[in-house]
Amino acid sequence: MSSGMEEMASQIDDLQKKAESDAQSAGSLEALQAVQAAFIGRGGALNEILRGIGKMPAEQRGQVGQMANQAKKTLEERFALRRKELEAAAGQAEQSKVAQYDPTIPARREAVGSLHPVTIVQRQIEEVFSRLGFIVVTGPEMESEYYNFEALNIPPMHPARDMQDTFWLGNGKLLRTHTSPVQVRAMEKYGAPLRVIAPGRCFRYETIDASHENTFFQLEGLLIDRNISIANLIAVMKLLLTEVFQREVEVRLRPGFFPFVEPGFELDMRCEICGGAGCPTCKHSGWVEVLPCGMVHPNVLKYGGIDTDVYTGFAFGLGLTRLAMMKYGVRDIRVLNSGDLRGIIAAEKLTGPTIVNGSRP
Amino acid sequence: MKVSLNWLRDYIDIPADLDPRSLGGQFTMTTAEIESIEEVRADSEGLVAAKILSVEKVAENLTAVKLKLKDRTVETVSAAKNLWPGQIVVYAPPGAKLAGQAIVETAVAGRASCGMIAPSEALAMGEVKGEAVFLPPRTAAGSAIDGALLRDWIIDIDNKSITHRPDCWGHYGIARELAAMLELPLKKYPVTPLKKLQDESLPEIPIEIDDPVLCRRYSGLVMTGLKAQPAPLWMQVRLARVGMRPINLIVDLTNYIMADLGQPMHAFDGDKVERIEVSVTKPAERFRTLDAVERVLPGGALMILSHRKAVAVAGIMGGADTEVTETTEKLLLESANFDPASIRKTATALGHRTEASTRFEKSLDPEFTVLAIQRFHYLAGKELPKMRLASRVSDCYPTKLPPITVEVDLDYASRFMGQPVTFEQAKKILERIEFKVAKGKNRLMVVKVPSFRSTKDISIQADILEELARFIGYGNIQPELPRVTVRALEPDRMHQLLSRSLAMMCEGRGYCEVHSYIWYDSEWLKTIEYEPGRTLELRNAAAAGQERLRREMAPNMLAFVDRNRHFFGDIRLCEIGSVFEPGQSGQDDAQYRHMMLARAERTDEGSLLKAVKADVETWVQQVTGRGISYQQVPADKVLPWESPLQTVQVMVEERVVGRITVVPVECRLRIDQHLRRLGIVMAELRLNSIVDLEPPITKLGQIPTFPEVELDFSVLTPAERHYVSLADQIRQFGHPLLRRVWFVDSYEGASVPVGMRSITLRARLGDAQRTLADEDLTTFRQAFVQHLESAGLKLR
Ligand SMILES: [Zn+2]
Repeated sequence: MSSGMEEMASQIDDLQKKAESDAQSAGSLEALQAVQAAFIGRGGALNEILRGIGKMPAEQRGQVGQMANQAKKTLEERFALRRKELEAAAGQAEQSKVAQYDPTIPARREAVGSLHPVTIVQRQIEEVFSRLGFIVVTGPEMESEYYNFEALNIPPMHPARDMQDTFWLGNGKLLRTHTSPVQVRAMEKYGAPLRVIAPGRCFRYETIDASHENTFFQLEGLLIDRNISIANLIAVMKLLLTEVFQREVEVRLRPGFFPFVEPGFELDMRCEICGGAGCPTCKHSGWVEVLPCGMVHPNVLKYGGIDTDVYTGFAFGLGLTRLAMMKYGVRDIRVLNSGDLRGIIAAEKLTGPTIVNGSRP
Repeated sequence: MKVSLNWLRDYIDIPADLDPRSLGGQFTMTTAEIESIEEVRADSEGLVAAKILSVEKVAENLTAVKLKLKDRTVETVSAAKNLWPGQIVVYAPPGAKLAGQAIVETAVAGRASCGMIAPSEALAMGEVKGEAVFLPPRTAAGSAIDGALLRDWIIDIDNKSITHRPDCWGHYGIARELAAMLELPLKKYPVTPLKKLQDESLPEIPIEIDDPVLCRRYSGLVMTGLKAQPAPLWMQVRLARVGMRPINLIVDLTNYIMADLGQPMHAFDGDKVERIEVSVTKPAERFRTLDAVERVLPGGALMILSHRKAVAVAGIMGGADTEVTETTEKLLLESANFDPASIRKTATALGHRTEASTRFEKSLDPEFTVLAIQRFHYLAGKELPKMRLASRVSDCYPTKLPPITVEVDLDYASRFMGQPVTFEQAKKILERIEFKVAKGKNRLMVVKVPSFRSTKDISIQADILEELARFIGYGNIQPELPRVTVRALEPDRMHQLLSRSLAMMCEGRGYCEVHSYIWYDSEWLKTIEYEPGRTLELRNAAAAGQERLRREMAPNMLAFVDRNRHFFGDIRLCEIGSVFEPGQSGQDDAQYRHMMLARAERTDEGSLLKAVKADVETWVQQVTGRGISYQQVPADKVLPWESPLQTVQVMVEERVVGRITVVPVECRLRIDQHLRRLGIVMAELRLNSIVDLEPPITKLGQIPTFPEVELDFSVLTPAERHYVSLADQIRQFGHPLLRRVWFVDSYEGASVPVGMRSITLRARLGDAQRTLADEDLTTFRQAFVQHLESAGLKLR
């Protein structure tokens, strides 16, 4: 063997050894791929050597070529073997990855947000009335004496205008004591026939305690059309309560005095707590007062510019704040205007679902 | 108003087996709400009348009292006050039972004590407690106390539900309702016949009414031969149980008739008042009322004068100088009818509402004045055999209310009720409550309203329909859904905006909705060092310091952030509420609706500010279909909770919609030291500014036939240069391949030189005819970069 050839043979041999050791130390399929490319790829080291063959004497070329091919074949086998090993290892890793994956783990909690309990109840009622063809309107909170009282058939010095109940402003206006002023405003704007509800904030000059607030929400309702009767009023109120409470409710009407309706009623619902047998909640009467209502007083229709020869109507008021308290078990009305999220938002909305439910205060 | 069942039984034979609770229930269903109905039962037995022979003090607050019974005398030691020989008291002898306790002989303060002078509790006299009960002088010593007085039922009627029913402010009126309800006869009201009081040989009381509108009628009667003595026990017991303290016969009689018929009366000392003038005061007159209080009268208060000297505040309270006393033998009895509004106004101004004024302000029936005098004479005569008339009934009646007749269309009535109403049915119901009914033309019914329902209660057809409906029974009306007219009403845009905005923020962007009061709290304003300037003010605030209506919602919201920071790490609050602004130079005061947002977190303010801006931008985009621009608020225009540097005005087109601000650390520290590291960003937005902005309809682009390419350009700009000016520069650029350029992000930080800001813009390129080639992108890039550089912007 000539020295050139020997040199070549030793080069191939070194290369092969180096490739084998690199393949062994390749820890991943990607690394192995790189090693393979480096040694026996198109631009690999072995090809580099083979390119040098051209400078050799012709009789030596075949021998060297054979040696190189032999080396390539050997390396290919080694690489294949190593690939199998690595693939097996990767499979194991994949398997353990599957075992570690927990499909039940919850996502990281994002801020969920929530509407105020009164707004939720308000929405539900708006939704019911929208289905009945009522539109929802707003009215001003700073209201004139005219709309809050006079146009509602409560003339000056009427006992129903008790000074102590109204917040008066220095400018002669007042904070509306009920949502009823919107009745006349809606009549003026839309005329008859008319179906509207008006949710909103009301204010009464009252001492605050756990069951009294000076700032609360009401929802006013008004329906005016031809030949509207007391029988219609009862039926619509029954429908409303059935929708709100999601079940058939038993109601009764009894006389109630509100100057803007004639006749005026208090609508009672069978007490939920005792089912009518009598309990402290219903003052042992078996009935709970839910909403005042009545046939719109002709004077009020006239103030609203409605022709009383053609149209009659009924109106009702719902205490949204009270309804929200009933629905969400709010015991202290003051919480609703406190801004304290602990009292007005369900804890789950802020933290995500409860794991252990301990006793709630 | 409290009502005694025993009292009602004077006028109506209520069946003995009718449970008073069910009676109350029925009353609630037909007339007015009953607050409570309670049985009164004095567990006493064997009480007798006893005459005091002598009183001897034996210890502090204790006297030995010798009592005469039927045929013996006894001595008892008593703690009762105001005992004098000659008085007759209620006495419980040994063996009697007194409020559940058996009475035995005992010794008190070392003296034998036989039996006990019965305190008012022994007779269950309501709130009157611990006092001896005195009997009229003619009561025979030793006579038994009527056991029937020991039991009663007291019905408490909700005053608010009889505001419109002056006739229901006395037992007789309530009895009338019950009689109609139970279909039982109502007994005639027992009075002295008028003829007996019209003796022409007796003088008339001179009565002069200056203002016949304010005083519709004034009737009077003078009587002599009176004696200060206790009222009969039954009357005292009834009065006490309905909440009026027994005083003496004369006062008790006027109170009794007020609770009986509803007509208040006043007894003047007849020696001091013998003529009557009714007139109004000048402002600030002073007058001492019988409760010995010197009162300053409001101008225009209606007064009773005698020889032009004030003797009573009409309808409210008599004067101290002319009230009946122990020695009064002659009295002038007033029974009058005053204008309800005037009485109410004066009572409100005096801050003193009495049982009398409460009734007068309900519009009493003027027909009752003389009837009440007849009743007084009837009841007083039984107690005072020596009583004589010293005048005839004197009656000045300048303003007779016209009788009211209402025509009722029975067809209309049937439609209104939702079921047929017949003439016979209507007549039967209305006659039971003393209306007179006749047939009119066609299907009309002519109804004459009794005077006691005519003062304001009943005047129109709807009023009669109510009477019919409540006696038909609301429970007997079959519910029926209405037939309505379909009409598309214009929606209330403010409501739509409110509703959508809350939904977006609270359901979409993690805010929690809160509600705050619409007034400032002055203490809080001091804490945050804010003086709002001119505000609307409440004349009667809920509490001191809560007079001023808020001009903006931020202060209250800041308080809410502070309240919640103890409990939550990431606070997002949202509120929609009203704010109020005093009108500028003669303009009306205004109210607006604002949406207030606040976010607080222990994070850097920059990213929090970005987040709130994103919330506001998204909101405006969604509800108005428009983008917003920001204008910096000059440092000298910021409010105490606004950072001088980081406060911007939010503009939509040319309109100012609100402000977004970082709450500066100085403001946070004023609230609490612990707020040093809490980043707070707030936005206050005026819904009225955008409520009319309908989102414009934007035609949607076609999907391009040839692919479009997006290129990002990050440019460096001096940090003090505002985005708006940069955007204005870029807006000048044009290129045939350019579709749009928009803002992606801004960045200041490690890889950006100090004092510079990196702004990333994105350009979209396309051609309708072909796919873009590499050289298209290259030439565009060159052109755009050149434009940027000419505007002083370097590519990063
Ligand atoms: Zn109950």
